[in-house]
Amino acid sequence: MNLVFEAGRITGNLVVLPETEQRFEDDMVNFDFPRERSLKLKEVMGYDRHRIAGERTCVSDLAGFGLRTLAERGLLDVASLDALIVVTQTPDYWIPPTSCVLHGALGLREDALCLDITQGCAGFIVGLMEALQWLRQPHIRKVALVTADVLSRRISPKDRNSYPLTGDAAAITLVERAEPGVQVHGCLKFDGKRSAALQIPAGGCRLPSSPETALLQDCGDHNLRALDHLRMDGTAVFNFVMNDVPPMIEALLAAAGRTRDDIDYFLFHQPNRFMLRKLAERLQVPYERVPDWVTGTWGNSNSVTIPAALAGTLGAGAQTNRYTVCFAGFGVGLTWGGLVMPLERLAFNDVVDYREP
Amino acid sequence: MEVLLERLATILDEPAVAPDDALQGYANWDSLAVLSIVAMAQEDYGVVLQAPDIQGAGTARGLFALIEGHRAGR
Repeated sequence: MNLVFEAGRITGNLVVLPETEQRFEDDMVNFDFPRERSLKLKEVMGYDRHRIAGERTCVSDLAGFGLRTLAERGLLDVASLDALIVVTQTPDYWIPPTSCVLHGALGLREDALCLDITQGCAGFIVGLMEALQWLRQPHIRKVALVTADVLSRRISPKDRNSYPLTGDAAAITLVERAEPGVQVHGCLKFDGKRSAALQIPAGGCRLPSSPETALLQDCGDHNLRALDHLRMDGTAVFNFVMNDVPPMIEALLAAAGRTRDDIDYFLFHQPNRFMLRKLAERLQVPYERVPDWVTGTWGNSNSVTIPAALAGTLGAGAQTNRYTVCFAGFGVGLTWGGLVMPLERLAFNDVVDYREP
Repeated sequence: MEVLLERLATILDEPAVAPDDALQGYANWDSLAVLSIVAMAQEDYGVVLQAPDIQGAGTARGLFALIEGHRAGR
């Protein structure tokens, strides 16, 4: 579906990374594959290191740290927030929403809207669209979009398909009312028929967690996973990204009246370097304009990868320069979508390491 | 077929791949090999293969027939 938004723009972006950095070559000892073959995977996919949250660190800890850091630096008065949208698939609790946990921890106003969105790889796109929609309300001027996940909790360390690319992180992206005339084009698509390509079978109401669902099993490919763990059908996801994402991006650019050359950066979800380079080739865009370094440096943090690519690629440059960017997320759902928007005069665009309180 | 055999040898890191040897018998047959075949089939032949079909093809000759079948069906 093509979408048009007129209400808002990104005014700041902060990424919070857990301190623990794991290296692929240390992960390898847990895999049931020859060392040389795992090194080949490292080379092809661009894996090197990734950030993993401590066992007790939850989404509200990472996100709360980020919001408090902004307050301490004088970049955000939390009392000025009109809405807090949290995109996560690893909430602190089933009940209450993580946005309400953060609302309480930070002492937000009763008039500040709280909303959780269950989304993954395209979560930043869905969350940003939601923020832009709420900004049409006369009394909503400033929205904090929090993307955060500690997905490492639900990945088997003995699963070479998923573990080496997984990272934990949070991002706080401020979205505020824009001057009239700023138009943002978007596109969002879903195909639930293919949802099993990325799934955690157990732990919900359909199949509650039990001692049985915690048992590690070899699914026939030398990877050991439990039903409590994420299952990713890597080739199905690859085919999806190569075949469904480029037409969506092309339709989005056409709707926005832009060509590839008008886009300074294609800030995409970060599954791995291999897939992003193939996607760049398919789109006929040079690698330099499709950042692909996030997964090999910080890990694939689900909905946080796009703000991570934004902070780590453009950094403080986004405070002084003007860019036209194309964001796109694709994965869990299956969901794929994008937004073409101007980026300028961000008050901050930074990365901070999490410290336990 | 010759081109496919060369591409498979590169993917599996073998000096050569015989047309009728079981692909799953090669030491480096794993999910990375399957993904590399999927990517190669898209780039070189313009066809979209699924992992179970590649597993089911059995040999290089079977994979060649699978690719040709997809191309004919387009």
